[in-house]
Amino acid sequence: MKFLKNIFAFIVPLTAMLISFIIYLFASNILENYRIKIANDYSIVIVTNTPLIKEEITKLAGINVEKIITLEKEKIINDIKNNLSDTSVDLLRQKLPFFYKIQLEVFPTTSELNIIKDTLYQNKNIRKVEIFSKNHNNIYLLLLLLSRISFILFSIITIFAVIIISKQIRIWFYEHHEKITILKLHGASILYSSSTILKYAIISAILSFTIVSSIFIYLLSNIGVILPNDLENIVIVTLSLNDSLTKIFLLSFGISLLTIIGVLLKYKLKHD
Amino acid sequence: MIFAKNIYLSYDENKYIIKKGNFNIKEKEFVFIGGTSGSGKSTLLKSFYGEIPLKHGDLVIAGQNVMGIKGKSLRRLRKDIGIIFQDYKLIKEWTIEENIMIPLKINGYSNDISREQANKLLAHVKLAHRAGYYPNELSGGEQQRVAVARALAHNPKIIIADEPTGNLDDYSADVVWNLLKGANEQLGITVVVVTHRVPKNFGIRFRQLSIEDGIIYEVS
Repeated sequence: MKFLKNIFAFIVPLTAMLISFIIYLFASNILENYRIKIANDYSIVIVTNTPLIKEEITKLAGINVEKIITLEKEKIINDIKNNLSDTSVDLLRQKLPFFYKIQLEVFPTTSELNIIKDTLYQNKNIRKVEIFSKNHNNIYLLLLLLSRISFILFSIITIFAVIIISKQIRIWFYEHHEKITILKLHGASILYSSSTILKYAIISAILSFTIVSSIFIYLLSNIGVILPNDLENIVIVTLSLNDSLTKIFLLSFGISLLTIIGVLLKYKLKHD
Repeated sequence: MIFAKNIYLSYDENKYIIKKGNFNIKEKEFVFIGGTSGSGKSTLLKSFYGEIPLKHGDLVIAGQNVMGIKGKSLRRLRKDIGIIFQDYKLIKEWTIEENIMIPLKINGYSNDISREQANKLLAHVKLAHRAGYYPNELSGGEQQRVAVARALAHNPKIIIADEPTGNLDDYSADVVWNLLKGANEQLGITVVVVTHRVPKNFGIRFRQLSIEDGIIYEVS
């Protein structure tokens, strides 16, 4: 009981930080999946003087092109030739530029689209670019906002968690000061002398990881519990369990160990 | 074993507690360091295990110069020394058996060997029946016997004791003196004891140094 009381002040901020991290993981994964989903329904149309090469477009605008679909000239001419004379059709056949529909790997933001448009226009070969920015999806922007907010929250909670954890470690050093001094007088290193504190931190990190992993596994298989069914077409979660648990584990131990090393070095400088 | 040449000790630059200290303590000697309260006896002793840094001079303990010592060298020096404090300095959350195991584990002995050696020493200081007790459950005399056992545990070259009987009744003090004499006579360990009162009829050969006004004198 006393032991749990001792590590409680360490576990609470660490767990809060890890929970904010899994919220961020979910938000960014939902955004990423939605991005890929709508990218399939979206394309940029460009008009060029000469035939287009995929690599040139990727190189020029720095965009990841999923595929380039050539819009056949004959099909375009067929759609309008009824109102034209044969001579005009021949002339049109000679003068008509090349039309392409570019499908992207991921859905860009409005500002990214504008950059792509400006960059494409730098190519003298390109006569016209249509990005259909008005069709841009509001849901996507809301998901983007959600992802950014969850990241900002995660960052802020991490800062506060590190402050609270380092304060708790300082309290442990204060509580164990006499023991550390006695061990050092017998020739022990600072790491050996503070092994009890290291043990507290490692057990706390394991407990926090276990709590948050359980929450994560539950949410991953029951996402409908926290989100309404109406969102099932938007909220698609494809997080890898192993990858995500590895990230949570590394974060839990990384933050715990880095904080303890920071406090330990400060303690060593003060007392050596 | 302990060689001091022109050593100066101070807590601040303005006032030296030990001035131009010179002495030589040979292997297997039993030495008392006396002097009035505040004369600098404990300060001198602390300099032996690097707790107080030397200002000037050379102080060589078991072949290692203490001047400017820190890090690994300091840890190595402390591993060669057994220290006994007036206030025992036992870890109260640990049993007395675990307290005696401290220097052994720091010196790299396994848990089993450390426990075995600790129990032998507990028997030696006649506390074998209390191995699982915590320091607060023992009398002052018993705690100091545990501290002596801990100082002997890793077979050190030197034992230094700061007023080891200062808080003890006469009977407990006699027990502690006998343990220290045994360590010196039977195990050949060099013993340096700071005390303001040298026991009468000590029974073995010893040397006595004294500190007055920061100067170290040879008394006998």
